[in-house]
Formats: sequence, C-alpha cells, structure tokens
Amino acid sequence: MAESTDSAVEEKELISSATASVDTDGFGTSAVSEEVVLDVKNLQTHFTTRWGTVKAVDGVTYHVKRGETLGIVGESGSGKSVTALSLMRLVPSPPGKIVGGEVVLGGRNLLDLSEHDMTSVRGGEISIILQDPMQALNPVFSIENQVGEAIKIHQGLKGEALWDKIVDSLRKVRIPAPESRAKDYPHQLSGGMRQRVVGAIGISSAPVVIIADEPTTSLDVTIQAAYLRLLRQIQQEEGVGIIFITHDFGIVAKMCDRVAVMYAGRIVEEADVRTIFNEPLHEYTKALISSVPKLEEKTGRLPQIEGQPPLLYNLPPGDAFAPRSTLTFTAEDAARRPPLLEVKPNHWVQLSKSSVADYDKYAHMMPAEDED
Amino acid sequence: MTTAASTSIPGAPGVNPSADAIISIRNLRKWYQVGGGFMGFGDKIYLKAVDDVSFDIERNKTFGLVGESGCGKTTTLKLLLGLETPTSGHIYYEGEDVTTMSKAGRTEFRRSVQAVFQDPWSSLNPRMRVRSIVGEPLEIATTMTKGQIATRVGDLLSETGLNPYQANLYPHEFSGGQRQRIGIARALALNPKVIALDEPVSALDVSIRAQIMNLLVDLQEEHGLAYLLVAHNLATVRYMCHDMAVMYLGVVQESGETEAIFNNPMHIYTNALVSAALPSHPDIHREEFLLPGEVVSPINPPPGDVFMTRTPMEVDPNHKWANERPPLVEKEPGHWVVETPWSMAADAGLKVTLTGHKGV
Repeated sequence: MAESTDSAVEEKELISSATASVDTDGFGTSAVSEEVVLDVKNLQTHFTTRWGTVKAVDGVTYHVKRGETLGIVGESGSGKSVTALSLMRLVPSPPGKIVGGEVVLGGRNLLDLSEHDMTSVRGGEISIILQDPMQALNPVFSIENQVGEAIKIHQGLKGEALWDKIVDSLRKVRIPAPESRAKDYPHQLSGGMRQRVVGAIGISSAPVVIIADEPTTSLDVTIQAAYLRLLRQIQQEEGVGIIFITHDFGIVAKMCDRVAVMYAGRIVEEADVRTIFNEPLHEYTKALISSVPKLEEKTGRLPQIEGQPPLLYNLPPGDAFAPRSTLTFTAEDAARRPPLLEVKPNHWVQLSKSSVADYDKYAHMMPAEDED
Repeated sequence: MTTAASTSIPGAPGVNPSADAIISIRNLRKWYQVGGGFMGFGDKIYLKAVDDVSFDIERNKTFGLVGESGCGKTTTLKLLLGLETPTSGHIYYEGEDVTTMSKAGRTEFRRSVQAVFQDPWSSLNPRMRVRSIVGEPLEIATTMTKGQIATRVGDLLSETGLNPYQANLYPHEFSGGQRQRIGIARALALNPKVIALDEPVSALDVSIRAQIMNLLVDLQEEHGLAYLLVAHNLATVRYMCHDMAVMYLGVVQESGETEAIFNNPMHIYTNALVSAALPSHPDIHREEFLLPGEVVSPINPPPGDVFMTRTPMEVDPNHKWANERPPLVEKEPGHWVVETPWSMAADAGLKVTLTGHKGV
C-alpha cells in the first residue's frame, strides 16, 4: 500500500506546476497562478474508538495554488472535514492522531512545528471559515473585539492602527457602515452579516490559504449567492488559495477550479472541474453528479446510488466503493487496494476494476502486484 | 393539466374549493400577536407569518412551497397538519371545511393527512423500537390486534426499503437515509391520502437523497398520494412537484404549474431565487441579480405589496398596490403572479435564462 501511494505522490509533484488556469465563475477571471502554496502529502489521521481504529483520512495527497479554489467533495464520514482540521492540527487528541504524512506551507512541514509556532500559523497563514456563524462567534463579545483578537495576536497592532485594520477587514467583506457595525454584538446582525464577520476574521491576517468548511449551508439561497460572490472577489483581490469543503456539486460547479472527490477517507478522483463534470471516470463521481436533480431542465427518474456510505471502522479491505458499485467484477478485483494514478494529464483516479468502467483502457498503468 | 388549472384557482381569494383538489386552502392567515394591545388598549402588533394564502393540492400530485427562511412555508404546512390553528381562512379536505367538520370527520382528516419531517435524527423517539414507532399510529387509531400490527409494520418496512427483521432495532442503529425511511413508513401506516413533506431530503447525504426522492415518487404512484412539499432547493422542487407556489413574507407571489413557472418566471422575486440557485455544470453561468436590502421583518409588514421594499424599481407610494394587498393575476393558463408596476421581471428588464450562457 505504502509504495503505490508514494509513487503516486512523486508523479503528482512533477505535474503539479503544469495545470492550466480555468475560469469557473461568471463574475471575472480566475486568479490561479502556478505557485503551489500548500502541499499535502500522504496525510493520515486515525481515531481510536472502542470499535477499532477509524482511518478517517487514509493517505490523502493534494496541493493548492495561489488564487486557486480546490473543492473537496464527499459525504458525511468521507473524511473531508477531518482532512481540513488536520491541516490546522485541530483534530482532538485523543481520540484523533495524525499518524503520517506532510503538510508543507511556506517551506515548512506544519506537522513538525511546535504547538507555539502552530498558534501563529492558525488564523495567520491558514484560516478557517466554519459552517455555522452563530457557533463561530462568541455572543458576549462585540464584533470589534472578535475581529480584533486575531489581528492583535498575529500582527500585534494596538489602538488606532488596530481599529483601522478592524474597519478595513469589515469593509473588505462588504459590511455596510463598518464603523458602527464593529460596535454591535453578533445577535444584532442577520445570518448573512454574521457569516461575513466570520469571513472578516478569516481574511484579517492576510492568510495564504483559507479553508471554507461548508460556509453557506445554513444560509438562504440569495444570501448564499452573495456570499460566494464575495469569497470569489476576495480571492481575486488577495490571491488567496481556498480549500472549499462541500457535499454540494452546485457549489463545486460555481466556485472550484479543481476538485478532489473523497470516499471513505481517500481521494477517489481528482481533476479540474470541467473534467470532473464532463468525463468522470470513477463510478462514485459519476453517480454523485447524475443523482442530483437539475434546475435547468425537468429530468426523468434520477439514477440513485444503492446502499449506504460505509462505516469507517469496518471498511472492506480493498476498494471501499466496491459494495455499492454496479460494475461486474470478481472478489479478487475488489480485494486489492486501488492506487491513485494519473490516468490522463492532471486527472487522477483510484484505479480498480470494481469502480472504473474504463479499467481495461488504463490497466497497463497499474503497478505490479507485489506488495500488500 | 391546463384544463385542471382553469378550474382550480390557486391564488384567487374567496373562490370555492375545486373538485380536482384533495386539499384546498383558501385565504389562510396565521398572525401571531407579538406586542401592543395591553388590556385592550393600544394598537396590537402582529407577526404575519402567513397572510391570505390560497392554493389547491390535487389528487395524486405534488404541490411545492418554496421561499427563504421566514417566508411562512413551514407555518403553512403546520396549519395543514393542525399543529397550528389558523387566525382566519379555510382548509378544505375533499371539499369539506376542516374548521367546521364534525368530530368524526376531523378524526378521518387527521388520519388521512400525515407528515415526514426534515431531520430524521430528531424526529424519531430514541427510546422506542422501530416496531413501536411505526406501529404507534395503528395502535391508537385502529382496532388491529398486536399480531396484525406486527405484520403490517413488517409490510411497511419492506415497502420503504428496510428489512422486516429490523423492527426490533432502535433508531440510533440506523443511518440518516434509513431513519428517513422509518419516518416514511410511519407516515404510511394509516393509509393516508396526503403527506406533508417538510424538507424531506435536505438533511441527508447526497448519495441518499435520490434514493429517498425516488421512493417518495414510487409511493405516490402506488398509493395515489398527494404531497405538500416544503423545500428551499429549487431543483428538488422541479424534480418532485407538479404545481408550486413561491412565497415571500407570508404571501404567495407566484404560483401555478411547476414547468410553467420554471420556463417563464415572471415575478422579480422568483427570478432572483432562480438566478441565485447553484448551477448543475461549471459551464452554466447564470446572470445573478441580488435584490436590494435584506428580507424585512414579518412584524407589521407594509399594508400593500409586501415585496415593494425589495424591488429594484421605483415604487409610487400613492399607488393603489402600495396601500392595498394586490391579488394574484392569471397571466397565462395555470400561471398566477402578483402583478404591480414594480413586481414584474419583464418591466424591470430582468430575465433569467435557466441554462445561462454556455462556454467560458
């Protein structure tokens, strides 16, 4: 297992500087540059539970470029959120533990940093925008206080300079009348405005990477649209890389440049957003995209994925998706752990007979079966 | 369908219930008093959650209610289920007014209208086994013996895609999708004619949503069920619903056949909702337009058109519809919209094309 993933990592490094920039939104060009700002290699996060070890993140490799939005898509239990928390080293330990891999940001491996150094990275170089703005904000502190806290810690500003920076951050997220809003408390703001405040805290220290963990699921559609547009504008202005964690392919279609689809703790497919929508190779990706009803046309009966997402403490030994796959394959085909291979330029897929219909076309790429 | 629409009048106030409808809602209001009127003095302040809503749910069809949070769609559903008492207005079931029905008639109505709720994690009692959860309505409302109930529960579970032997398990032993199936089995227990679905798939995983939506469609065909679907996801509504209404601030702004509305959304608010909905492909760029301001409070809304504070157009404060509630007007067969000088997308020069413009 280890060998196949490692070779995949190396191949991926070689290729990571050659992706074309793609415009994925209707409001301006994409700000993707070639500079890789965050490089995650073979990340493994395990949880010890009374049912056994849960491999929530099981050898995940990806990178984010300056100004790029990487979408990490998956269902609950796919490991998409734990992946993000692991980058920030916020996985509760025990029961969680990052058992392997590297997270390279600005030339340093974050997993090697001391807790003290990590504090300045969190909210500084990497910041996170969480799902529920009501839980992310403390109800007893004013907006000024909460936006200012991050700025004080990371930039050491005081007095007038601090106030200016707070107002500036609020202005960047298009909060009207930022001077008076700064004096308000969270309950005085609407849901959309609160989520903007969380965004202001996120961008206040000019981060290199923002992790957005389903930031719009609790918002109404029109407020969601305004917020997504805002994120995109901030990205263009600041050139920040965004990791967008979501289960919604609509958000992927609108926001992301590149997509990694996760299933049972592993990436099963990764490619630029158009390839994912136009030529998905993995059965899971195909099924996920086609099982969503379309607004644009009246569709016939939706194709559905049978079965349930797997329980992570009880994963099948090889291809985790095999029990839900509709392809014909033998038990041996499914028993081998499929390697993540680059089958076409910049298009990675977890190749196995049990989940890739075009397996025969790429079978020659499979590494020899000498390990396990 | 078009002929049916001409007899069933979704928005016209005061019109008698139509024969095609299993449920007819007429001029339904739910106002909550939130202040004022101390000991009979002073002006009372009302939160108008639902204000003069009328629509028909036809037999064997699905009616969708869409709108943003606070628009009154869930209150309307609760009024139908009898979980809230209307301030005024009528709910007709099979042409009979539920509010003036005899006790026996009301019991029959309650059995015939069931509900499936949004969150399968909190809507099932964690201390009850599945057989008690699904069998409870049968115990209360029928004279079936324990043996008959057990058989019926087994049948209901297999019909909703579960195994009869799972009847002895507790809710926590199931995944979200399976729990929603338990909720559906329970709703089906008394052979209802109407099921109110309150965001039935939004709490579920993406790969499970299609399973549950297809199950609901299959059950509708098999049992001739009518659904009232409350949802905020427009794509779900287009997939599931035959007819729909768009609500804003307690008032229906546009209603009619689902396809008629999606093919030609007329109200500015409907266009704003459609333009803000997420695309199904990265090459679809819909032009977004955001309404000025935010959703205003439903406490003491404007006496006239409730939408007038959000329109991008000029509002003449002396116009009739700025001071009096405008009615729904049938602009094309089976397609009703609140028409004021500032509510029509065509007048504002706004027109959302669903497919947007393709390509980069």
